[in-house]
Amino acid sequence: MDAFPYLWSNTLFKVNLTTWAMTVLTGLIVLIVLRLGVRHLDMRHPRGLQNLLEWAVEFTNNIAKSTMPNEQAVRWVLPFAFTTLVYLFVANWLGLVTTVALHMQHPLPWLGLTADVLAKTHGKVILFDSPTANMSFSLGLALLVWLISHGRGLRYPKMWLRHFVSPQPFMLPFNIIEEFTNPLTHGMRLYGNIFAGEALIGVLVGAPLLWGWVPWSMPLLFVWLIYSAFVSTIQAYVFTILLSLYIGNKSHEPHEVYHSH
Amino acid sequence: MIEVGTLVISLLTFLVMFWLIQHFAFKPLANMLEQRRNHVETQLSEAEEGRAEAEKLLAQQRDLLDQSRREARELLDAARMRADEQAHQLVEEAQAESQRILAEARTLIEQERAEALAGVMEQVTQLTVELTTKLLRDHVSDAVHAEMLKEAEQRLGELVC
Repeated sequence: MDAFPYLWSNTLFKVNLTTWAMTVLTGLIVLIVLRLGVRHLDMRHPRGLQNLLEWAVEFTNNIAKSTMPNEQAVRWVLPFAFTTLVYLFVANWLGLVTTVALHMQHPLPWLGLTADVLAKTHGKVILFDSPTANMSFSLGLALLVWLISHGRGLRYPKMWLRHFVSPQPFMLPFNIIEEFTNPLTHGMRLYGNIFAGEALIGVLVGAPLLWGWVPWSMPLLFVWLIYSAFVSTIQAYVFTILLSLYIGNKSHEPHEVYHSH
Repeated sequence: MIEVGTLVISLLTFLVMFWLIQHFAFKPLANMLEQRRNHVETQLSEAEEGRAEAEKLLAQQRDLLDQSRREARELLDAARMRADEQAHQLVEEAQAESQRILAEARTLIEQERAEALAGVMEQVTQLTVELTTKLLRDHVSDAVHAEMLKEAEQRLGELVC
């Protein structure tokens, strides 16, 4: 296990500073890149980054269309789904591209880095990794999606109540269990994939050299990095499609038949 | 383990970032896409309208052409008919005129012949009477003379007619 700097580390409300900083950094990167993309928007002749962004919007739109009941709901969920997709993509990749860790000898108790903690983690303090490699943030996002889906479902209270006993009343317990397992798996899936990727990278990077000079783990690291890049991309997509699905499942508006274009 | 502090703070940060991204980056993009969609739809419907309009105009032109063709044919037919009629009339008039002239000439000839005949008759009568008078100079009174003239005229009239 690695150590992280914490604010208010002695309270129940301790805040992982690395994760918080990474959520800010990820947001800023997404904001800046998107701003660059929309700087010279051209309706007739899209160029460069604009093409990529349009493709991403179209991609998200297709996800939303396949899970939301009607056009209005698609429009409603699109900004959230799009932002989450891009944000998670950047967040998942950040920890692959770079990991910064400090080896600290001297404890910093006000950041929660006490001598005890440093001894347990051999002084390794993570300063830069994926925010999604933190369970609290990933579960927090899943919780947000859960809250939004129920907020939307409660706009039609009768149908919201009825969906607990659908399709049959005996499904009630399963439906209730699902309300806990869905957000839990939603968040843990993201966290687990990204954390596992980074943990193994850390192990491979830190593996001792054979005979003191052969970096035997490098080819494995290379393969694992490629695989993790794939997983990072897929997980951003999976989280977004599930987000759309969970919100769509509780959007009880009248359904609309889409015409295939 | 789940850290409530990290969860709440990072989630709030995410929401702030979401708002910034949505407001400054996604909205312009979505607006542009919407604008493009509207533009394309407008163009399509305008093109359809234009085509319908063109078809309508073409049909109108075709109708007009047909109509003018028909009118031209009618005019031509009417003109031809009138010309025929006129020619016919002219011929008829000419025939009538010639008939009239012929009849007049005939009447005139008849009249002159009658006049000439009458003149000759009168002279013959006169001569006859004079001759008779010469022959019977002393035996005929004026009354008998008149009676004989009358009888001669009557006889000659019978002869002529």
